[in-house]
Amino acid sequence: MKWPLNYLPELAIIILLSLAGGRSRAQTPAKKDLLVTVGFYDIDNRAMYLSVHARTKVDGRFQPVKGARIRVYLDKDSAACLTGDLVTDPAGEGRAIISPELKDRWNSSATHSFIAISDGDTAFNASRTESSVTRARLQIDTGEGHTLSAVLQEWKNGQWMPVKGVDVKVDIRRSGGNLAASDKEAYTTDSAGKITADFKRDGLPGDEKGLLTLIAKVEDNDLYGNLQAELPVPWGSIGKAGFSIDNRTLWGIRSRTPIWLLFMAYSIFFSVWAVLVYLILQIVRIKRAGHADGYHARL
Amino acid sequence: MEDPIVSQNITADLLPQRFSRWGKRWTAILVVICAFGAYAYFLQLKNGLVVTSMRDYATWGIYISNFVFFVAISLVGSLITAVLRLADVHWSTPLTRIAEIIAVSAIIFASLIIVVDMGRPERFLNLLLHGRLQSPIIWDVVVICTYFFISLLLLYFPLLPDLKILIAAKEKTGARLNKLYRFLGSFWKGNAQQVRISDRSINILCITIIPVAFCIHTVTSWLFATTYRPGWDSTNFGAYFISGAFLVGAGAVVVAMYVFRKAYHLENYITALHFDKMGRIVVMLAMLYLYFNINEYLIPAFKMKKPEEAHLMGLFTGQFAPVFWFAILVGMIVPIFMLVFKKGRRPLPMFIAGMMIVVGAWFKRYLIVTPTLLHPFLPMRDVPAGYLHYFPSWQEWAIAMGSLSGALLLITFFARILPIIPIQETITERHEMAS
Repeated sequence: MKWPLNYLPELAIIILLSLAGGRSRAQTPAKKDLLVTVGFYDIDNRAMYLSVHARTKVDGRFQPVKGARIRVYLDKDSAACLTGDLVTDPAGEGRAIISPELKDRWNSSATHSFIAISDGDTAFNASRTESSVTRARLQIDTGEGHTLSAVLQEWKNGQWMPVKGVDVKVDIRRSGGNLAASDKEAYTTDSAGKITADFKRDGLPGDEKGLLTLIAKVEDNDLYGNLQAELPVPWGSIGKAGFSIDNRTLWGIRSRTPIWLLFMAYSIFFSVWAVLVYLILQIVRIKRAGHADGYHARL
Repeated sequence: MEDPIVSQNITADLLPQRFSRWGKRWTAILVVICAFGAYAYFLQLKNGLVVTSMRDYATWGIYISNFVFFVAISLVGSLITAVLRLADVHWSTPLTRIAEIIAVSAIIFASLIIVVDMGRPERFLNLLLHGRLQSPIIWDVVVICTYFFISLLLLYFPLLPDLKILIAAKEKTGARLNKLYRFLGSFWKGNAQQVRISDRSINILCITIIPVAFCIHTVTSWLFATTYRPGWDSTNFGAYFISGAFLVGAGAVVVAMYVFRKAYHLENYITALHFDKMGRIVVMLAMLYLYFNINEYLIPAFKMKKPEEAHLMGLFTGQFAPVFWFAILVGMIVPIFMLVFKKGRRPLPMFIAGMMIVVGAWFKRYLIVTPTLLHPFLPMRDVPAGYLHYFPSWQEWAIAMGSLSGALLLITFFARILPIIPIQETITERHEMAS
């Protein structure tokens, strides 16, 4: 067992170097890579915006990065093409609206790229991400009876051309989310760029005029991004507010409890608890009877 | 006239006993599971309900299943003690204390597990301060508190004569327990006035507890039935819940009878006759519960309304089918076939049937709560994949098992400090039979 002793100086040097290395690493922690993704959204051919997500890898899993400063450009990273200078929220997300000033640039080409640049800071390396979309539009319409159709077209050679083979969802806008308008999850566009779906939600309550908002949407498409078209239709039943918070109802607020419920609940409650209080008094009576018995026994 | 030798023998047999080696091991195992459950609850408090698998759709999971299970078991106090006592049935005397202990332990843990299900338990008081009387949740809170109090009184009043015997047996029970007994019942002398007041109070309690017991489980069923969801939208729910509660409670008493009989050598007090009679009751209750189950599932399945189809098919042939058929077969049908024959009503088969009923009942509660939440009328769309399914996280399992162990620990604790069979009533009945 002599040989380990022979290597003792070398071992000591290795350990010292490791410790020193570890300490220096602790003093200057390595910067992380920032992964930025850009999603394009076109809502009803009216409003276009970019949704930017910033993430980083922590313990092998992607986590959102809050407070990352990112500049987004349309086609070129020049001041004239700046679309947004944003800071990500706690979910690692930020939004930049494509402003009307960039309309001419937008209309000048069939494809566009979005450049997201982060200069980096003490925690993250600088990053640059590019993504591209092809200009497209989605239109929604109604057909005979309760059917609806949507047409997807892309800008090609100076005109709108139909797009085949893209999945389109058809929904109805409801409070707090969307409801599928038909049985199928999604429809695929034909050679005319069109989908047709039957409306399967007859009798669904609409607003006070019976209006429902139909939505056709293309989600997360590699070429076209996210497109959405909307159309109000009078296919819902006329919605009436059948209650008022001022009435005493089962669904009313606490102070508007129906009188009959108050009467019943309190009658039952006080009857049962009156019996229980009576039984507690019986324990007191039993106790007294026991003490009196002891008193008489002592006498 | 009481025979002092017989009385002494009965007293010696029925006094609370120290734990045997197995008793200590059993207690230690329960304590460890409870501690693990407490640790899991600490993590839940620290990190929030996100540690559970409950999400936007499955907002109720095994905590609420456990709650319904505990409430169901607690009904046994009213069945064995109140119903049989009012019906002047005397053979059930040795089982009354067991039933009352199970009832008190179960209702305590029913209250605790509902707090565990709250994301912000420190806001519990707000439920009482700002709760709406229109909500069945408030009714449940009130009725659980009331039922707990009645069960406690029903445990306490019949205990008074036994406390006098326990106080007298100080040498055997020990000084510390004697202090407790003296605190609880040193005033009991057993004079005519005390006996008269006590008997009348027990009768009043027995009459009061039956409607309250029906209320507690009916209101628990209304937590579900007053909402418009597949599987819960039923007028059958109150009766369905109560019949199931009586069955699982009776099953739990059968299991406890067998275990206490073995552990404390009570073969002379909990006899084959008791198992036979309880077996008949269990068969009747199992058939009743099966009848309500047929109503609950067959009628909607016959109509197979579109919005309910996914829920029903999920139970019959889908992802919940193994658990569903296990609960129906093991929790009801097999015990009926076992106990309908006299040989099946012997202690060991009864114990096995009781275990099957209790385990089947736990899974049945899970089936009542979760599949419905995963099949809402409005389709689940555009949600993360994890929201579409529910399987409890390890924290949920640990807390649920911890609560079940906690209830068993409480029953064990009661069995350690109280006579598991009423001593004075047994002495009186034996002398009445002898004379």
